[in-house]
Amino acid sequence: MRAKNKASGSTAGAEFLDKNAGQRRQLLKSSVALGGLATGLGAATSSLAASTAPEKLITEVQDWNRYLGPGVDAKPYGQPSVHEADAVRRDVAWLTADAKSSVNFTPLHKLDGIITPNGLCFERHHGGVADISPADHRLMINGLVKTPLIFTMEDISRFPRENHVYFLECAANTGMEWRGAQLNGCQFTHGMVHNVMYTGVRLRDVLAEAGVSPKGKWILPEGGDAAHMTRSIPMEKAMDDCLIAFKMNGEALRPEQGYPLRLVVPGWEGNMWVKWLRRIEVGDQPWHQREETSKYTDLLADGQARRFTWTMDVKSVITNPSPQAPITHGQGQTVLSGLAWSGHGRIKRVDVSIDGGRHWHTARLDGESLNKSVHRFYYEFNWQGQELFLQSRAIDESRNLQPTKDALRAARGENSIYHNNGIQTWHVRADGSAENVEVS
Amino acid sequence: MRIVAVANASLKRQFIDRSLPVVLSVIVFFHTHPTYAQDLGAGATVFKQCTSCHAIGPNAKNQFGPHLNGVMQRAAGSAENYAYSEAFENSIDTESVWDTAKLDAFLQAPMSYMPGTKMAYQGLSNADDRASVIAYLASIDSSGQLPEPAATKPEKTSQTSDGQQRSLARDIPIPEHGLLHLGRPALDAEVIAWDIDIRPDGVGLPSGSGDVITGGELYDEQCASCHGVFGEGEGRWPILAGGQDSLVDDRPEKTIGSYWPYLSTVYDYIRRAMPFGNARSLSDDDVYALTAYLLYLNDLVDEEFELSDQNFTDIRLPNENNFMSDTRDEEPTHQIVGEPCMQNCLPGIVKVINRAQILNVTPDAEEASDAPTVD
Ligand code: HEC
Ligand code: HEC
Repeated sequence: MRAKNKASGSTAGAEFLDKNAGQRRQLLKSSVALGGLATGLGAATSSLAASTAPEKLITEVQDWNRYLGPGVDAKPYGQPSVHEADAVRRDVAWLTADAKSSVNFTPLHKLDGIITPNGLCFERHHGGVADISPADHRLMINGLVKTPLIFTMEDISRFPRENHVYFLECAANTGMEWRGAQLNGCQFTHGMVHNVMYTGVRLRDVLAEAGVSPKGKWILPEGGDAAHMTRSIPMEKAMDDCLIAFKMNGEALRPEQGYPLRLVVPGWEGNMWVKWLRRIEVGDQPWHQREETSKYTDLLADGQARRFTWTMDVKSVITNPSPQAPITHGQGQTVLSGLAWSGHGRIKRVDVSIDGGRHWHTARLDGESLNKSVHRFYYEFNWQGQELFLQSRAIDESRNLQPTKDALRAARGENSIYHNNGIQTWHVRADGSAENVEVS
Repeated sequence: MRIVAVANASLKRQFIDRSLPVVLSVIVFFHTHPTYAQDLGAGATVFKQCTSCHAIGPNAKNQFGPHLNGVMQRAAGSAENYAYSEAFENSIDTESVWDTAKLDAFLQAPMSYMPGTKMAYQGLSNADDRASVIAYLASIDSSGQLPEPAATKPEKTSQTSDGQQRSLARDIPIPEHGLLHLGRPALDAEVIAWDIDIRPDGVGLPSGSGDVITGGELYDEQCASCHGVFGEGEGRWPILAGGQDSLVDDRPEKTIGSYWPYLSTVYDYIRRAMPFGNARSLSDDDVYALTAYLLYLNDLVDEEFELSDQNFTDIRLPNENNFMSDTRDEEPTHQIVGEPCMQNCLPGIVKVINRAQILNVTPDAEEASDAPTVD
């Protein structure tokens, strides 16, 4: 019994080794072709590719196998592995005059699944990050209401709570790409989106406490930061699915996401999700604030401009491979992955093309399919080392279709800035490196 | 032993009061160095008026103004790689460190103390504010180590420790309003303090007035350093004037004169957010004057013009009628009919028609000449 086991065991082992040796040879070849690119993977790549000599990583006892690591509480608030130091938000400094009125971008190419970690949610501020103690925070409801009210954070926590996963996308996400391919990496082209679970209370419940007058058709939420951010929101939306949130992914909102309170306006442009929320006024007309006139209006080719373009249209992007995440493993089994979302509801389907839109394959949606949340898609294929022109197109449950960038330009011109949901193309070269391009 | 027990009992009571951690840290703090804490806390608050132009901290760089790490220990005007104005170089002894009296005089009214300085800031008229911000600057060494955060907030936290025992839940009256009876009625003074929004029909305008000449003076002092003397925008700071008839151009310039639909937005926005870094510091009349001046910079009124709550809604901006509602769903490709094409959807082989313009997007990347902007 024993002997037989051992024998069959070693036969299987030999087979496995043989196969591995073949793979290693292939890898060796391709990593030579890759040149400098392989450095990203460092030691792992080189030792894998180092012919048939046993790997020292396996045959020798490593430090981390021998010595004790830090104990509990070494970091009372845990942080990512030191080996993930490049999974960080990044800004493009020259885009804006001052970091306090600026933006940085979520590293989409470093993430998987559908939830964005709190520390990687992109930031956009108009007057820096306000530092507000919850004990000092107040929320006022005023205007066309029966009783203007003041709430403390404790008052807010006494309303019935709900939990929802929603995406938040800045209307200017991909806004730099209207005139053609510009920034090289999905972090910069598409990284003004994040997706977290909010805990909060229904806006309609809070408004009901004050008693909205039948004449009240609009609300004006206002932030308590130095920008005093304001936006007009129609009452229908306020009474539908808006939340006043105090938690994200289970913990208190991050300061840069509006601690201690932010408005959640599912499916609508991120600028309306007022952070550091301190006041909501009820009125019978919109206010035409700076962020809905000078900004967040979409200039068309004929000089006219659309305003109140609130919904974020259906959109998708391939996050891997992409310019910041080239293919380093050579030909063969390859995993393509990306994100899709729509402010109109759930994503019904995502198609992927590897040849610049000649042929399409329906990708596999995986993980939860939630209303107004990002969806994760995968397409696994056998890459034969040819040039790839990767594209994805999403369709939502209302049959809204992600358009091509050219279709958008034909309809709107090139000066809209906002709401660019066009199909993105990544050109993957034979060495696995990738670039942001547009193709015919 | 007894003492400990008593202390514990009173601590428990405070704990119920939810303010224990705060109380403790304040007590501990005041026992060590009370006055120091007070000054730095106030100084840090005052310094918020300076952060739109000056950075401090371990990663501080020169911004519009020089970084201020160790400014009280370094020679005046010695921030590396910073181009001080001629006025500054000529009027300050750049061999020796700032002395407190001189800095106090400078901060009181930078532009009259040093005509021609780039520090376009009205100054700190309150002597206590100046003293506390100078103490704060002196506490920051050249590495930019900031004083401990606990030190910056003593006033607020001590206020929350009332030491009162809490009333029994059933003795706290339930308000009448609403369904869940949460929150409390807002007082008129509170609503007036926060409700500063203005609508195109003039609802919300405070009474008052201001003219172009006054506005010009205010603008040169408090706005021109960023927005440019003619509203043309310094560097990447926003442009406020010009661009008329450019909306159909390749590079439209969207300004108050060329793009904004309503004048009420100008008043509302300046009052709520400007000058950047010192919001809500302008009087209502100042804002009327500045709004009048911005109309003047956009060639919409003449030099004698005075704007007030009386004539405000008579002024219409030229681009008002060029806005329409959301018509995206009327675009031909917005929705899909039938099934999308899956095979042989485009003819011919793929051709790259354009590629990423900016390959290196790291923070140090060189500024592209026609780089896009983010709004
Ligand atoms: C509008 C921008 C702006 C604001 C606001 C501002 N400063 Fe300045 N500051 C400058 C500039 C620009 C200079 C350089 C002066 C020159 O070259 O004329 C300067 C110079 C200084 C210096 C001299 C630095 C050196 O290297 O010797 C000090 C100290 C200083 N500022 C302190 C302050 C303080 C404190 C505040 C807030 C109370 C403040 N500033 C607010 C722009 C500003
Ligand atoms: C320290 C630089 C600075 C100073 C000083 C300053 N601003 Fe600004 N201003 C800005 C920035 C930055 C923005 C954009 C803020 C944002 O991102 O929301 C802005 C925006 C504006 C806008 C809106 C522009 C648009 O196109 O939407 C107006 C109007 C304006 N400022 C007026 C003023 C006036 C009036 C003053 C003087 C009282 C002033 N600003 C002083 C930096 C400055």
